[in-house]
Amino acid sequence: MQAFAPGIYPRSEQLVQATRDLDRGRTSAEAVDEQVERDLAELVSVQQQAGLDLLTDGMLRWQDLFRPLLEAGEGLETGALTRFLDTNTFYRAPHDTTAAPTLSAPLDERYVAPLPGPRLVTLPSPFALSQGTGVSPLTIAENVLKPALETIDAELVVLSEPFFGRHDEPSPRDLEAPLAALGGGPKLALQLTFCDARKPLEQGLSELPVDAIGIDFYGTHLADVPKGFDKLLLAGVIDARSSALEDPRELAQFADRLRNDREVEQIALVPNGDLQFVSGRIAGEKLTRLGQAKTATVEAAA
Amino acid sequence: MKLLTHEIGSLAKPPWLVKTSAGTPLGESDVEHARNWGERLGVDGYEELVETLQRGDPDKAELGHWASRYALRLLESAGIEVVYDGEQQRTEMYAWAVDHSNGFEPRGTVRSFDNKYYSKSAVTGEPSLREPYHNDEFQFLQSVANHDLKIPVTGAYTIAVWSYDEHYGPQTGRIGAGHGRNEELAARREFANDLARDVIRPNLESLIDLGAKWIQIDEPGASTEADELDIFVESFNESVEGLDCFFSTHLCFSDYDLFFPAIEQMHGCKQFCVGFANYDSRELGTSGADRPGYEVISKFRDLPYEPILGLGVLDIHTDFVESPELVRDRILYATEVFGDPERIHVCPDCGLRTRSWEVAYEKLTSMVEGTKLAEQALSTAGAAT
Repeated sequence: MQAFAPGIYPRSEQLVQATRDLDRGRTSAEAVDEQVERDLAELVSVQQQAGLDLLTDGMLRWQDLFRPLLEAGEGLETGALTRFLDTNTFYRAPHDTTAAPTLSAPLDERYVAPLPGPRLVTLPSPFALSQGTGVSPLTIAENVLKPALETIDAELVVLSEPFFGRHDEPSPRDLEAPLAALGGGPKLALQLTFCDARKPLEQGLSELPVDAIGIDFYGTHLADVPKGFDKLLLAGVIDARSSALEDPRELAQFADRLRNDREVEQIALVPNGDLQFVSGRIAGEKLTRLGQAKTATVEAAA
Repeated sequence: MKLLTHEIGSLAKPPWLVKTSAGTPLGESDVEHARNWGERLGVDGYEELVETLQRGDPDKAELGHWASRYALRLLESAGIEVVYDGEQQRTEMYAWAVDHSNGFEPRGTVRSFDNKYYSKSAVTGEPSLREPYHNDEFQFLQSVANHDLKIPVTGAYTIAVWSYDEHYGPQTGRIGAGHGRNEELAARREFANDLARDVIRPNLESLIDLGAKWIQIDEPGASTEADELDIFVESFNESVEGLDCFFSTHLCFSDYDLFFPAIEQMHGCKQFCVGFANYDSRELGTSGADRPGYEVISKFRDLPYEPILGLGVLDIHTDFVESPELVRDRILYATEVFGDPERIHVCPDCGLRTRSWEVAYEKLTSMVEGTKLAEQALSTAGAAT
């Protein structure tokens, strides 16, 4: 049993104010950098105290799931401001300027910050990054994500996929080649965020060439997980779009049901998507409860 | 040929208001801001504000009134015909509404995009109106406006969809339960309709009693959930049905195709003010190929109750200033599609609060100039035929 928190983490109220001030010319980029470092230190501390197994840097400088890759790429740029799923948060949709975009520079420490322990890194899935562009997910995987992965030192790279599960007829086969192209480096997880994964699971999601699959259990029924699921299951049990705080005992009981009813052997408790959809204060409390749920699960099993 | 221009809602707050509200000392540049813009816009008695700021003892409420005067004059000076005050006296469109209502608790700050954020609350009980929360500003603006007023009011559905739900939906037993959308939809419908009936409608009634002629129901969250458009429509109708006023609604940054056919039932909406420029090309031209951002407007044209289209012609997310010729071409394309210029009004995509006053003023001035160019072109074409 593991627990960790992929995705974009919310900025503290202090960092919110600092970035607002930066936009208005009332503070310096250096002052914002200093606050980012304080936020990062606090986030690491919260994760360590919660006993999470892999640390994340919270992607505190990422303006959205795609931006640093677009800025570091040739042939991809930011497009129209676009609503992210059914939230009131928006992103700049990727826009292609060539048929074969490339990554011209690796993601530097601003976007993959050094951490004091085993870590994960979150990137967009090739399917997500290709959405709205004329570029195929395979090309995105080979030309953009693969070069990015080659410079990343992490125990796990979580490929965040917010769109695939919402398609009317999602076909996991479409993801096979792009995901296979990313193999050979760090362990990979494909996390379907904020969606009902029933259809993708029925269509063979668990057979994809990755080490782990992430499922949102606020959208997906327990019974939709295939019995004997033989990969690491990133079980989205923290609702990242709700201000309500989860009961760690309920989370632990659910983990038991995954093990006993669905015969899942490898489980990591995670949020069902980016925690940036709640405030920093609430996100911190949710991480604490995530850790408590893991502890309760482990103790119950013992 | 006359095409009405109006604004959509928010403008940036001046630094002397922001800093005073935050308890931050004012600098000389803040005083200069008040002096320069006061002179430039011809704000009556601005010297009094400058003296107050120089003394360093401004009254916060009085500064709010000054900010309203400045914003009003900025819009009027740019040539906008129907105006408000850029929501200078409100904290923010969502926070202002929930802070003056019962049944909400604050839950912190969430990102809107990039370095833009908003305060988000949770509904924790049945919402109700604590007090009509736009009356004071409206009465003040009635006393100082030279142009006609349009009051922006945040709509019920947007408040509902921007709030966390800690009251209406199931709070436990959700993990792995496969709670279908039906339960969520029922909860949202009840919440939105409660807001419409018990918060928004009493506000509208109160404003109408004070003499409001045009109220804009702001619904930037309307298309957040593709399968909830009927809830948005239902809550709009619940808010305005039977009230004697010109009601418009504002929609922005959405896949507008989603609104059809649901909004065919919004008979009380006399105008849809919609942001299109964000999706459009910056090249000149009046053909459909030249104006990709406006492709959907024929659907608004074909609505059975024939509403006016408030045509968004300014992208509010960029400092790029649309030329009058670009504004003209966007209008000419729309009037060609509609076939009836009287069903076209001209406005920005959305409130301009993320732009500086300098940029906002340039954009709005250009919008007015472009509207005049379009009027000339339409008149010339009319005379030729």
